[in-house]
Amino acid sequence: MRLKKALSKLPVWLLLAVVTIITLFPVVVAMLGSLKTNLELTTGASIFPKEWKFGNYIQAWNQADFSRFTFNSVFVAVFVTIGTLLVAAMAAYAVDRVQFRGKKLYIFLQSFTLFISIGAVVLRPQFDMMVGLGLQKSLWGVIIILISAHATAFFMVIGFFKGIPRELDEAALIDGCNFYSIFWRIILPLLRPALAVVALFTFRGAWNEYILPLVFSLTRPDLQTLPVGLASLRYGAGAAVENHLMLAGACISILPLLIVYIFANRSFMQVTVGSVKG
Amino acid sequence: MMKKRFGAYVFTFPSLLLTIVFGIYPVVWALRYMFYDYQGFGTPKFIGIDNFLRVSRDMEFWNSVWNTFIYASGKLIITIPLSLILAVILNSKLKGRQLFRAVFFMPTIFSASVMAIIFYIIFNSYNGILNQYLLKIGIVNAPIDWLGASNAMLTTIIIAVWGAVGNYMLLFLAGLQSIPEDIYEAAAIDGVNPIQKMWYMTIPLLGPVLQMIIMLAITVSLKGYESIMVLTEGGPFGKTEVMYLYLYKLFFPLTTSGAAIQNIGYGSAVGFTTAVIVGFVTWIYFWISKKLNNIY
Repeated sequence: MRLKKALSKLPVWLLLAVVTIITLFPVVVAMLGSLKTNLELTTGASIFPKEWKFGNYIQAWNQADFSRFTFNSVFVAVFVTIGTLLVAAMAAYAVDRVQFRGKKLYIFLQSFTLFISIGAVVLRPQFDMMVGLGLQKSLWGVIIILISAHATAFFMVIGFFKGIPRELDEAALIDGCNFYSIFWRIILPLLRPALAVVALFTFRGAWNEYILPLVFSLTRPDLQTLPVGLASLRYGAGAAVENHLMLAGACISILPLLIVYIFANRSFMQVTVGSVKG
Repeated sequence: MMKKRFGAYVFTFPSLLLTIVFGIYPVVWALRYMFYDYQGFGTPKFIGIDNFLRVSRDMEFWNSVWNTFIYASGKLIITIPLSLILAVILNSKLKGRQLFRAVFFMPTIFSASVMAIIFYIIFNSYNGILNQYLLKIGIVNAPIDWLGASNAMLTTIIIAVWGAVGNYMLLFLAGLQSIPEDIYEAAAIDGVNPIQKMWYMTIPLLGPVLQMIIMLAITVSLKGYESIMVLTEGGPFGKTEVMYLYLYKLFFPLTTSGAAIQNIGYGSAVGFTTAVIVGFVTWIYFWISKKLNNIY
């Protein structure tokens, strides 16, 4: 009886094992491959490197410009996260706590940007406007446009507002707080755990963004972020693109997220479910 | 009270300004230029609906629409059942379910373009890692041309599935948690087998959640082009060209693929058409699922 029960579970475990292997395969291959010589990577058919070439990372960092790509990625992701949280939290506070004219229209505009997608078309006017503002020469143009796409963050934050009782606002009002100080002193501290989750979501999006920084760096390679710089190696002018350096670069991009994910994977999952249930 | 209302306007202003300037205005901009002949320089010339007549005759565009449907349906046919099955398994009291959930969801945290680079090195035809392993084990005698004309679409679908299964598994898991446990207990007493349980209980009980998740999956897969752009740039011979990638190339021609020239007026018309196609597919899906609801 016990054996039969164990056997009936066999297909389930087999499926889980296969999916696990396929899921981990590319990531493990990338990490091990980033430590091989290019020759071993492209012809060796080995699993573990014969010699652990940690020098690949130094080479990628110095010669293949990954130091600059990384700096740009950190710069964009940090400021987009701060900006998005601030803009979305302020708007969510106003929309959740105050009745004002135009509120419905505001919410409609936010959902409109979520649902209507004309793809790359919008990049052109966005870029032209940044040229007009003189911001196309730095990453600030990219940062501002990414902050402008804060509708998802807005709807996430407003979902969290339901957990903060209005009585708190009223009590603070009696104690002499006004609309602004209630936000800074009462709401923001209480929202902190929720904002951390939204920050994680926003940071991931900005860190992984490819198309927008690509468009801004077409004529300015010094603005390339990690995904853009990496992809440019694939089609790079140098015919002998070295795979081991590409993998080292890819790992520089995915390892920080992976490390955060190992410790905070529940937050990542929570935010995905929350953003759909909204 | 007045003060509070003024504060509300102050607090929504940054959000509203950014949304209108960078979210709404570009759409209005495109709605104007789709009636113009404009190459990105010189004066735009009004040409009425000529751009749309050109869209209707543009075989390269309709090829990309066709490819998009192959890509999206291929991705969904594997992703939706697989992620639902995994969700059902990991919704049970299985040992290590948290760990499996975390592992399966992991691909969603990575950049599609960075993963495309890794997959390029894996699937590369003549010295790719996968072919090396397959040859060494002896499963194949000659390297498989994963990114060649006949396999490239399949490979992009595999990569898309890899990136998507964990996400939909998690959404299904959230939906499954709303189904009460005792229904299954009653069914177990009646001797219902797992397949019957899935078909007659789980799927109908998930009902609206399932419909919403599938709709989300449809729109997301129609819009995806980042990883294809990095992996194949739509090639070889336009075999993996999807419509949003075709659209991108009209605005920002890729240097390595052909002599496409920037065409803003025409591109805006193509952009409008793709948005209508996505909307139309979504509407058909809504209509069909509503009809199915009536039958049940």
